[in-house]
Amino acid sequence: MKSPAIKPLHYAGVLVAVALAALLPWFAPNQFYIHLATVGCINLMLVLGLAIIARAGQLSMGHGGFALVGGYVSALLSMKGWPPLLTLFIAGLAAAVIAAALGWIILRLRGVYFVLVAFAFSQIAVLLALDMSSITGGANGLVGVPPISIFGYVLRAKPQFYPFALGCALTTLALTWLLYRSPLGTMMAATAENQRLTESSGIDTHRVQVIAFTIGSGIAGFAGALSTHYLRFISPDSYTFWESVSYLTMLVVGGRDGVLGPVVGVLVLTPLPELLRSTEGLQHIIYGTVLVLCLMFVPNGLASIVQMWRARQRVTTTSATLVAGEVP
Amino acid sequence: MSMDIILAQTIVNGLMVGMIYVLMAIGFTMVFGIMRIVNFAHGEFYMVGAFLFAILYGSNEMPFAVSVLLAVGATALLGLVMEWVVFRRFRGNELNGMIASVGVALIIQNSALLMWGASARTVPPVVSGVLSVGGIVFPWSRLVVIIGAIVAVVSLNLLIGYTRIGRAMRAVAQDSEIAQVQGIRVDVIFPAAFVLGVSLAAFAGVLMAPVLSVSPFIGLAPTLKAFVIVVIGGLGSVPGAVVGGLLIGLIESFAGTFVSASLSEILQFLVVIAVVLLRPQGLLGRKEREA
Repeated sequence: MKSPAIKPLHYAGVLVAVALAALLPWFAPNQFYIHLATVGCINLMLVLGLAIIARAGQLSMGHGGFALVGGYVSALLSMKGWPPLLTLFIAGLAAAVIAAALGWIILRLRGVYFVLVAFAFSQIAVLLALDMSSITGGANGLVGVPPISIFGYVLRAKPQFYPFALGCALTTLALTWLLYRSPLGTMMAATAENQRLTESSGIDTHRVQVIAFTIGSGIAGFAGALSTHYLRFISPDSYTFWESVSYLTMLVVGGRDGVLGPVVGVLVLTPLPELLRSTEGLQHIIYGTVLVLCLMFVPNGLASIVQMWRARQRVTTTSATLVAGEVP
Repeated sequence: MSMDIILAQTIVNGLMVGMIYVLMAIGFTMVFGIMRIVNFAHGEFYMVGAFLFAILYGSNEMPFAVSVLLAVGATALLGLVMEWVVFRRFRGNELNGMIASVGVALIIQNSALLMWGASARTVPPVVSGVLSVGGIVFPWSRLVVIIGAIVAVVSLNLLIGYTRIGRAMRAVAQDSEIAQVQGIRVDVIFPAAFVLGVSLAAFAGVLMAPVLSVSPFIGLAPTLKAFVIVVIGGLGSVPGAVVGGLLIGLIESFAGTFVSASLSEILQFLVVIAVVLLRPQGLLGRKEREA
């Protein structure tokens, strides 16, 4: 993907968006909006993780499994008295280590096998959480996970937790953006574009994909842990296959290229279940329909509409200047 | 109960579950081999088949054969519609086709939930009584499942191996462009293969409905099993699906009887990892052609 030069206007746009997000607790009508925004931040991290894997040309149907692993690791360690601020990172690391081992084995195979085995892994994670009830509490899950505290300041209430979640999400966003512009990011994009050609130019595409899978799954582990400390609860039902599907939907609906896509996808689809709550069972059907329709008509996601519109404008302005130049 | 009775029944259970998985895996691998679509909605067609059978045979007390035909036929029709509306647009596009199938799974599962409710239903047994061989008894209800599945697999093999349309399907699976050049109507073969795969899933659902209970959520587990079997047996290989399916069924049955059900799941996953490490093309699969 081309990365056009950043204009001052873009900086301004990003600044305004960040400022609006940061100021939300002051103008939100009630706590529910802050809750929704916090969930959005956590979703954004998960979708960014998925986007990084997709950037290297792979699709993870087991993303929820890594969030589940992260959630349990952080919950169990912090319940033993470890500081949650530390266990968040251990959770991310644990998920990353599992992903690295799994990825090293299964990414030697073609794409489809990877999808199948990653999906199987997430199911195994749920089953293990159910079965090892002496450690994980079985189907009841773990209740009373300690809240995050930063230097003695405990993030217990929603307005206190939100800035922390926003900070984590923005940091992830910035790091993803930097990753995409780094040499590794270029290698990832090249691998997705044409694996053989990339390999023939001396890049170990297997390694690139394993690294992308490790980073993406690590982020999922961190985000799963963050969510667990926010809700103060985790159970095997917290991250099932359908959660993995909803992250995938956000990614596809928003757009798979760049960092704008995940942001758009999360902004559109996080509030959707709440808006559709009154329609009860219909909401999942609508979710599925949105996913299929998006793939049919805007396969590059909603973010690509903006790009298309911008490209067309550029064309019309250049032709306008051309015409203007020709007329004496 | 003496040991050999438990053993014999564990084997019968393993074969029964295994044959159901075989049916699921064959349909799944066929759709992938021909259309290049990983169908995450495959298990939802199993669920629809089981549900329709439960309604026709269980609730409306229609004759057995009519119920089977109607349940499988209606599910096949649903498959045809889905192929026509959705899957046809994603032929050859593995990534987007797979994501679209997830959307289809969401739609089918939740439509079933909306129409038929979340509570599980039971279907009266089709046959009763036991078969007694040398003092060991086998319930007929389970033997019927095994026999039905074997009949389906054998007739499918005959269809693929010895008929015009079967030969055409194999040709399309090998190379759809060349097949088209040879005069094979690819636009007929694609929906035919999809409907055939879906019908196998629906038939598996029909066979299983009297043995297990039926609810809108039963589709995901056999889909997962189909994936595992296909990786073990080799993607696109029908004999591989048979061997992999029976292997998984027996592991499940033995581990479930003698140790614990979740251990069997972990064991199956380890088998998958071992196969990927040692024999990446699957037990009976051929190496993917370098395209």
